[in-house]
Amino acid sequence: MQAALPSTRGPNVALYASVARLGFRRQFAYPQAALWGLITNLFFGVLRIAVLVALFASTPRVAGYTVQDAITYTGLTQALIMALSLFGWTDFMRTIHRGEVASDLLRPHNLLAFWAAQDAGRAAGQFALRGLPMLALFALLWGATFPAGPDGWLLSTLSLLLAWACGFAFRFLVNCAAFWSPDAVGFGRFAWAVLGLGSGFLMPLAFFPPWFQAVLAWTPFPSMMNTTVELWLGVRTGPEAWTAMAVQLGWAMLLFGLAAFVLSRGLRRLEIAGG
Amino acid sequence: MDKPSVTPQHRQKEGRLASAIHHLRLYFLLLRAQARSQAVYRVSFALDAVGSAFITLSEFAAFVLVLPRFGSLSGWTLGEVALLYGLAELAFVLMDLMFGGFDAPNLSQHVRSGSFNTFLLRPAPLRLQIFGSDFALRRVTRIFLAAGILAYGITASGAVWTPEAALLLTGSVLGMVAFFGGLFVIGGTLTFWTVDSVEAMNVLTYGGRTLISYPMDIYGQFLRKTFTYLIPAAFLSYFPVLHVLGRPLPDGLPLLAASLSPLVGPVMLAAAFAFWRVGVRHYGGTGT
Repeated sequence: MQAALPSTRGPNVALYASVARLGFRRQFAYPQAALWGLITNLFFGVLRIAVLVALFASTPRVAGYTVQDAITYTGLTQALIMALSLFGWTDFMRTIHRGEVASDLLRPHNLLAFWAAQDAGRAAGQFALRGLPMLALFALLWGATFPAGPDGWLLSTLSLLLAWACGFAFRFLVNCAAFWSPDAVGFGRFAWAVLGLGSGFLMPLAFFPPWFQAVLAWTPFPSMMNTTVELWLGVRTGPEAWTAMAVQLGWAMLLFGLAAFVLSRGLRRLEIAGG
Repeated sequence: MDKPSVTPQHRQKEGRLASAIHHLRLYFLLLRAQARSQAVYRVSFALDAVGSAFITLSEFAAFVLVLPRFGSLSGWTLGEVALLYGLAELAFVLMDLMFGGFDAPNLSQHVRSGSFNTFLLRPAPLRLQIFGSDFALRRVTRIFLAAGILAYGITASGAVWTPEAALLLTGSVLGMVAFFGGLFVIGGTLTFWTVDSVEAMNVLTYGGRTLISYPMDIYGQFLRKTFTYLIPAAFLSYFPVLHVLGRPLPDGLPLLAASLSPLVGPVMLAAAFAFWRVGVRHYGGTGT
């Protein structure tokens, strides 16, 4: 797929950039499937909005959210399903199961950085293809709101990038389970369900009971989407917003470090098994 | 494929019964073979079984956890919603176990890989083979989960329990199994022409399941009327549950409407299989 670039000592920025670009372009190969996906996501968005609006019927404001915020939350989460792979991701797992990972190792790149670049391109492509139209539709049909002022946009954008980084590192870690077990798909199914609940995809985390929020605060899952939603809506502002992003950054670094470590252990194991 | 072996007129009835028993045995033989192969890797199977139940569990748990903040869902208590949610989930999982082979992703794979042609060649009814082609045993955990949610709904909703109510809800589940099974058959049949529209069917199948998991009065006039009169999903579980809870039906519909589920479902399924026959004929006609 990618051009055969010469191996260099330092990180090869040009190579990863072209990998990301290809990952981006590949998303536009099936426009018809994307259109149907958009319609499906929109329909589920309508159902989710109905539940939230009905919940808000007797209270104007819950945990800092108005009903309009809840609608924006729904639009944003529906828009990010594909970009952030909230329903799961098994691409790397597949290359391990099929043994293709062995030939990937021959190439002059860092495996984790290669997949990160590819997924960044994929995520950007999905966001452009499905996320932006979804947000536009929600804004048009239900008056979903956008971040307030340049500050809001800056924080939301940075937080979205960090959410992708946390989410990717987590997904990659889950995929690494394939080095140890042929059961990684079942393990993944479990992990994606936890991701859906913990990242605030199913419901805004602020609506959950305090004890459950306290438990989740110790996990990286809120950093994978809920934080971005709260910054977008302006539920968190000022120093609180920057703290939330620092937490995201911390989790992103920790998860990437963990992914690199687990990957190296997994690859060593792969060599022992003889590929 | 539908005709039993040629028998004299007076023995035809007996022959039909014998062939039905034969086909049923064949079906369970297919299921057992798949169940056995899936149970070979025990850890894998256990993980898969727990994982697939956990998807539903987390979805319902999210709703359960946030409901206390709001009090009720448009006047419906948790127990009452659990009744709707449990019914829909139970029916959908049972349907998935039975009709999984017709689900568009599965069938389109058979069509694309050419293994559908082998189905046509085998000396067993085509539909029976498709019915027995995707028996995902891991879904049994979801049956228990759905039954648990439903049991909670039955005890906590404060409904008055009569044989009539039990009959109504049993009919509701059977109707839903047939209805969603019909949607799977239609989705699978569409793959004989195109694979692009597969995701559109998800709106009706998985979307329909989500739609009827909550009281339909939350959806607003347009959506509720569409899924009552155009796509008769409201008859499947919403109306029976309304009746069991002692609530009036919307639009001044007569009580009779609450017991139509066992009729609506099979009508959909029959229409779906009529479409299936057209699809199979078309498939054969292309000569692939």
